Formats: sequence, C-alpha cells, structure tokens
Amino acid sequence: MNCADSRTYLPAYLDDELDVAESLYVQRHLAACEDCRQAQDAQLALRSALRDPGLYAYPSADFSKRIEATVRRAAKEEARSQRSSWFALLRLDSFRWVPAAAALVIVTTVGAFLITNSMRSSHDQLIASAVLTGHIRSLQPGHLIDVPSSDRHTVKPWFQGKLDFSPPVPDLSELGWTLVGGRLDYVDGRPVAVLVYQRRMHNINVFLWPNHGSADDIIRQEDAQGYQILHWNGAETTYWVVSDLNKAELLELARALRGH
Amino acid sequence: MTSQEKLCRFEEQISPHLKSAYNLARWLTRSHEDAEDVVQESFLRAFSAFESLRGENARPWLLTIVRNTSMTWLKRNRSAGAMIGFEEMLVEPSEDSPDPEEILLITCDREQVRQALAQMPLDFREAVILREMEGLSYREISATIGVPLGTVMSRLSRGREWLKRILSTPSSPRPVQPEEGAGPR
Repeated sequence: MNCADSRTYLPAYLDDELDVAESLYVQRHLAACEDCRQAQDAQLALRSALRDPGLYAYPSADFSKRIEATVRRAAKEEARSQRSSWFALLRLDSFRWVPAAAALVIVTTVGAFLITNSMRSSHDQLIASAVLTGHIRSLQPGHLIDVPSSDRHTVKPWFQGKLDFSPPVPDLSELGWTLVGGRLDYVDGRPVAVLVYQRRMHNINVFLWPNHGSADDIIRQEDAQGYQILHWNGAETTYWVVSDLNKAELLELARALRGH
Repeated sequence: MTSQEKLCRFEEQISPHLKSAYNLARWLTRSHEDAEDVVQESFLRAFSAFESLRGENARPWLLTIVRNTSMTWLKRNRSAGAMIGFEEMLVEPSEDSPDPEEILLITCDREQVRQALAQMPLDFREAVILREMEGLSYREISATIGVPLGTVMSRLSRGREWLKRILSTPSSPRPVQPEEGAGPR
C-alpha cells in the first residue's frame, strides 16, 4: 500500500469500516510511514475534539417529560378513535343502542344520495386514525400549512416535484370555502397532498392521493373525538376530509370536491 | 397490537433515544426552540408510523425521522444561511492555510469547535454529527440521509478536512460568526 491509498483508507480504517485484511494493510503502512502516522494523529485529534461530551446537546428534564406526555396523549387518542369507530358502533350491545339509533336516523335523513357505509376494512381504520392524527398535529402552531396561499395557481405548482402525482386543487371560494394553503403529509406509507380550506373559524384538512383501487364515489363518514371524517374513492383520487365542522356543511364540501 | 401494547413497546424501544433525537435536531436546526419543536413532531410521527418499524435498529430509524423533519423545518423556515449546505456553495478556506494533512490540529478549544461545527455546510454537518456524536455506521448514515455509501464517505471526509482547515488556521479570516446560528451551548 502506498501513501495515496493509505490516505484514502485512513478514515474508514479509523471508523472501523474496513475488513480485517484491509485494516492490516493500513496498519502495516502506518507502521512504516511517518507522514501517514501524522495524518492519523490529526484525524484522531479532530475526532476527540468532536466527541467532547461538552458539545453534545442534551434535552432538558422538562422537555423529556413533555415528550412522554405527548406520546401518551397520542396513544390515548388512538385508542379512543379505535373504540369510537363506526365499526364498533354497529355492535349493538346495550351501551351502543343510543348512538346506533342516532346513526340510523342520520342515514335515513341524508337519504339515498349519500350512503354512509361503515369503514369496514381495518386498513381504512388505520388510515382514518392517521389522517385524524395528521389533522390534530396540523392544529399545533406552525404546522397547518407549508404553502400559504388562497390562489390555486400557487398551491398546485407547489406540490410539483414534491409528489409523484399532481393533486387537483379546485377553487371553491364561490361556495364559501376559502383555500388557505397546502402542505405535505405522510399517510399509509406514502407522501400525500393536504389542501387546507377554511369556513368561519374551522380548518378543514383534505388529504388526497391517487386511487389505485376501485372507485365508487360513495362518501363514507365517521366521527371520532368530536371530529368528522369523510372518505371516498374517486376515479383517480382517494379523498379523506377531516374537520371539527358540522357534518352537514362538511358533506357540502365533500360533494363540491367530488364534483370537480 | 393494542394501543396500550404499542405505547409500551414505543416507550421501551424509541423513548430511550430522545437524547440522540434532540442532539441531532439541535445541531441541524442550531436552535434550542426549533430542536424541541422538531423532536416533538418527530415523536408524533414516529408513534403513528411505529408499526412500520420491523426488525431494524430503532435509533437510526428514529434519527431518520428526526433528520427528515429537521430538513422540512429548515426549508419551511428558510432563513439567511440556513440553507447553505449545497456542496457547490461551499466556501473553501483560503489557499495559503497549511495543508491539513501535514499539521496536527492546533486548537482543541471547545467553543471554537462548536462554532466551526455550527458553520459547517449542512450536508457535511449531518454526516459528521451522525458519525462522531451518534456513532452510526456508514451504512446507517447512508440510510438515514438517503444517499449512497460512497457519498457518505466523501461527505465525511470532506467535512473533516473542512473542519481541520478551519480549526488549524485560527489566524486566517474566518466566516462571519452568526450570533444566533451558533451551535448548542
């Protein structure tokens, strides 16, 4: 091994990333070469300067407690949303009678146009809980939007290059839905687009990504912890809409989005 | 897995790495408040994606989330200097500084090292922090940053050379030292 090779291998040698034979070559060269030993000493001096424990940034005890509480709250929310799911609602044990009856009334009222299906698959349950978590997270300060704009011509191009699809961004302002911006989120193992609309003081998160499965355009509805979740599979796009807005108004939005 | 089981396993496998998560976020964002925000968001993401962790080492998995959240955060809050990290934007130390291979490191002053690390281009900084402070292997760093192994090696080696030049030439003109941009204290 010559000096040039030795300098190339030196960092990996010191980082313990060479195999035994390679390490041996470097060692032999170092034993014989004063210059390369100096280079090694410089690397080691830098390493010990960087590994100075005084440079390591430790979280405060308060912060550690806060994170623990945050995670426990997320777990509780998840448990609650699983319990309160539509699926559980339909198990007609005595405790569930009242909400089940209420649900039946709603189904009848809304009529044949809207078939409120139960979200049967556990896969849908997982997504519902993910979009709900995404919605709640988005309500924390600074998390709602990545691209603040009411102009669909600003929001739509923003997604380009960030996603492998181009999400439809309809302008629904005439119907009373103000587009406030968009952001990226991560749901069901893939990056998704989120459009944020507002009505009065309510934020509505519209999660969307390409639909590769079957499309029926049927709006499914679920409530969880005071939030409404609407979901349908359009011909090209899967939609999940989450908000604390009342169900009737949210259905208006869903229909408007579906029409586009 | 029930929510309770998930919480138990999360607290057993992920929570012990809060320290690493914070250290990385702190060195990437260079701010205490931002690091806390990034870590909080990362833990929520980690919790909701926890089922996807299978068999891999939990710490690099968590650090990948922290790293990506930090990058999103930096892009969102793009401020002067925050995005210096592209290799072509790298300002090399002056040519007449001594060849780092030929001299020993001159300073071991912690504050100077801290300044140098905080000013290091982002691409180099993340590789160096993951290697030197978090002790990740090249392969783990490659997965965390999402670049090939060869790129990890080249960034580490260029980052270290960069640091050696900065730290061994205290008399040469140094980059502006940003007050706020300084590393963790």
